[in-house]
Amino acid sequence: MRTLIRHVTRKSRGGTAVRDEVAEGEKILAGRGNDCAIHLPDPRVMLHHADLTIRDGKLYVLAAPGADLRVGDSLTQISKLDVGSKIRIGPYEIEFAEKGGDFDFTLHVELVLALGDDLEKLVARSRIHIDRIGLSMRAWVWLLASVVLIGTFVAPFVFNLLVGPPPDKLSLAPGKQHYVAAPTKVWTSGSISAAHKFFGDSCESCHEKPFVPVRDRACLTCHAGVQNHAQPAIFPFADLSERTCQSCHKEHQGNVTIVLGDEGFCADCHKDMGARTTRSTLANASDFGLHHPEFRPTMVKDPALHSMDRSRSIGGTPPPVENSGLKFPHDKHLRTTGVKDPGRGVVTLQCADCHTPNETGETMQAVSFEQNCHSCHILRFDTFVPDRELAHGKPDEVFKQVRDVYDALAMRGGYEEPTAPALLRRKPGEPLSPVEKVTATNWAASKTADVFNGRFGRGLCEECHRTFDTNTGKPTPTALPEPKPWSIEPPTVTTLWMPKAYFTHARHADVPCAECHAAKASTSSTDVLIPGIAICQSCHGGEKAADRVPSTCVSCHRFHRKDLEPMRPEKADAAPHILPRERTFAGGTLPMWEKP
Amino acid sequence: MHESILIYRKHRYLKWALALAAVSAVIYLIDRPLGAPNGGTWLGYALGTAAGGLMLWLAWFGVRKRRYGVGKVPLEDWLSAHIYLGTALALIATLHSGFQLGLNIHSVLYVTMMITIISGMVGLYFYVSYPRLLTENRRGLSTEVMLGQIAELDRDVRQIAMATDDATNAMALKSTQDTILGGTALQQLRGFDEHCPTTLARQFVESSVSSQHDAQRRQLLTRLIRKEDLLKRIRRDVQLRCLLKVWLYVHVPFSIAALAALVTHVVTVFYYW
Repeated sequence: MRTLIRHVTRKSRGGTAVRDEVAEGEKILAGRGNDCAIHLPDPRVMLHHADLTIRDGKLYVLAAPGADLRVGDSLTQISKLDVGSKIRIGPYEIEFAEKGGDFDFTLHVELVLALGDDLEKLVARSRIHIDRIGLSMRAWVWLLASVVLIGTFVAPFVFNLLVGPPPDKLSLAPGKQHYVAAPTKVWTSGSISAAHKFFGDSCESCHEKPFVPVRDRACLTCHAGVQNHAQPAIFPFADLSERTCQSCHKEHQGNVTIVLGDEGFCADCHKDMGARTTRSTLANASDFGLHHPEFRPTMVKDPALHSMDRSRSIGGTPPPVENSGLKFPHDKHLRTTGVKDPGRGVVTLQCADCHTPNETGETMQAVSFEQNCHSCHILRFDTFVPDRELAHGKPDEVFKQVRDVYDALAMRGGYEEPTAPALLRRKPGEPLSPVEKVTATNWAASKTADVFNGRFGRGLCEECHRTFDTNTGKPTPTALPEPKPWSIEPPTVTTLWMPKAYFTHARHADVPCAECHAAKASTSSTDVLIPGIAICQSCHGGEKAADRVPSTCVSCHRFHRKDLEPMRPEKADAAPHILPRERTFAGGTLPMWEKP
Repeated sequence: MHESILIYRKHRYLKWALALAAVSAVIYLIDRPLGAPNGGTWLGYALGTAAGGLMLWLAWFGVRKRRYGVGKVPLEDWLSAHIYLGTALALIATLHSGFQLGLNIHSVLYVTMMITIISGMVGLYFYVSYPRLLTENRRGLSTEVMLGQIAELDRDVRQIAMATDDATNAMALKSTQDTILGGTALQQLRGFDEHCPTTLARQFVESSVSSQHDAQRRQLLTRLIRKEDLLKRIRRDVQLRCLLKVWLYVHVPFSIAALAALVTHVVTVFYYW
């Protein structure tokens, strides 16, 4: 058997070139191997890819194991070939072109699928430039910018328009407290202050008008009565009427108080008041730990004239002297051997026996005779009238009271005092003749005067009080009915020593009283027993103190002074009136003032 | 001679930026505003205006660099100033914020701005250090030449492999046909391909070279090793060139996003003044 194997090569300019080979035998190998009669030099072809076998004059093709073989369009392992059949081995096509003629069989072999240009293919399947990864910079830019603009501005703005701002919490029905925050809350520049959080979700409560800074009237809705810092007429430089609330009270600074605590803010003026004004008696201060004057208690100078003195410092020379009109030696009352109590025997008094905090614990309740003194100091004026005491706190009535007692005794009799006239010592209820009545009345008048001016009248009062003769020409605060010859100076006990500062006992309750108040050593009620600044400074320092409790000016002092006029009087009427807390002595309030 | 953009004009713009930063920092430290320092004090407004102006000017660089031969100031000046003043912006904007960051849209501006600045610094680092690495990696060859060499090696490999067994031939053919350079951004950035058919073919041939006389396989191996080296270098080249550009995909979009956030910031701050 002879088979013609014709290798056909198509030229790029058209036409074909042929190369003929002749194979002998009944088995023709096709493959990449050199031993193959049909030599197919391409890496995509196996060494021995297929056998063509002639049997009974017919041509068969048989694929080598694992080899890819196509006859026509079908993938096959073995196939009988007819004239015109086309076998595909890798990139080659072998056509059964002719049977018979000069050769038994004629096969045409053609490379129909060239390997192509390696470089071109390598470049084609590789992407080695960042620009060709399908990521569009422009699209990416638009996407990100749109997300930011819509997410941060457009969406909150539109939602706010659609849903409207949440209602002000001030106008909430009780118990209804839950709101969805305003969409524009994402615009907040910082957490709202602690005190304002309850309406913080409602931006429009304060930001009434877009692009207009928060106006005072928003603040004054609640804070209308807030007072001046100093009297503007006397201290024009401290006139803040042209300033807005928010120029000092900075909101959105976090979960803190909106009250300014900066020492420097106060020190601006107060470190050198002389440079600002000659009309202030305030001493300079700029830091509680480093630069602060000794405390100067506000003392009553003349109770009658309501005149005050705050020129003397604690521990200074001369020291501050309290002019309360009372005699009260603390040392005698606090002595460790105790004091005699008519009911309880000898008792050792403690501070708390007389000084009890008021409801807030801030200050002490005023000491009262009835509550704190009377159990020991009984105002009995006559041992033969044991059931009667002088009426305490009623100097206008006490003379009449004593006179009434003796008038009644004179009429009734039975007064057992040995030196009294027999008329008075008569059997109780025995009637008197008109002459005897005159005698008895005269006795009552005389006895009243004796008692009233004696040891158990004026003398008893003078154990604690200062008295004065009513006929000395000294101005009397009260007009007494004659023939009352003397009266008692109204006591003026200071309850608030430093009305311009704030101090609370409540937060110092764990400190023993004696740590601050040297009461046991005090021999006179003229002693001022509030501690000096050094005692405070042993725990408290200035704003930046590292080894003390950092305490700034507003820890003790108020900026908006409650004793002054409202800063915005036009709004003040609408506000609840806030009473000044400066009540400096029993029986009245004293104003605080700057030197005019 | 090429002058680095960093020392351009004897650090002129570095000095400008340092002066700007120093002035801002000193005033910030001296200033005693009421309450905590923030964007609403006079200094806050001043720093905010400066930072906003700087942002607009820095963004203008994207426009300016596309306009060749326009303007009296050379582009090098623009770039040098862009780098240094952009870095100063980070400080000025931080001082403007008074170090207050929160969960709100103002921090979106801060974060996008900082991402822009940091990506710019990263880009600058790439620009300063990678050209040398690129040159070293290429060893005087251009990418095209290396690709051409690979194509030639592929031809050789195929030719030689044809005389070898089918398994070897198949591996070699796969190496010539399926080896891919680059690909997705991630593949480009990785700079290597652990499934590279060339590496697999090289390993296969290496393990099957048994006799000293197996000349064809040894020839094949030599070429595969050479090809693998070229591939490694091209992949590194692709990686470096990709890095040189990929930071811009952060820098540019975030800079525009920061401008959008700046608009929101300014409008909303004054909307609720």
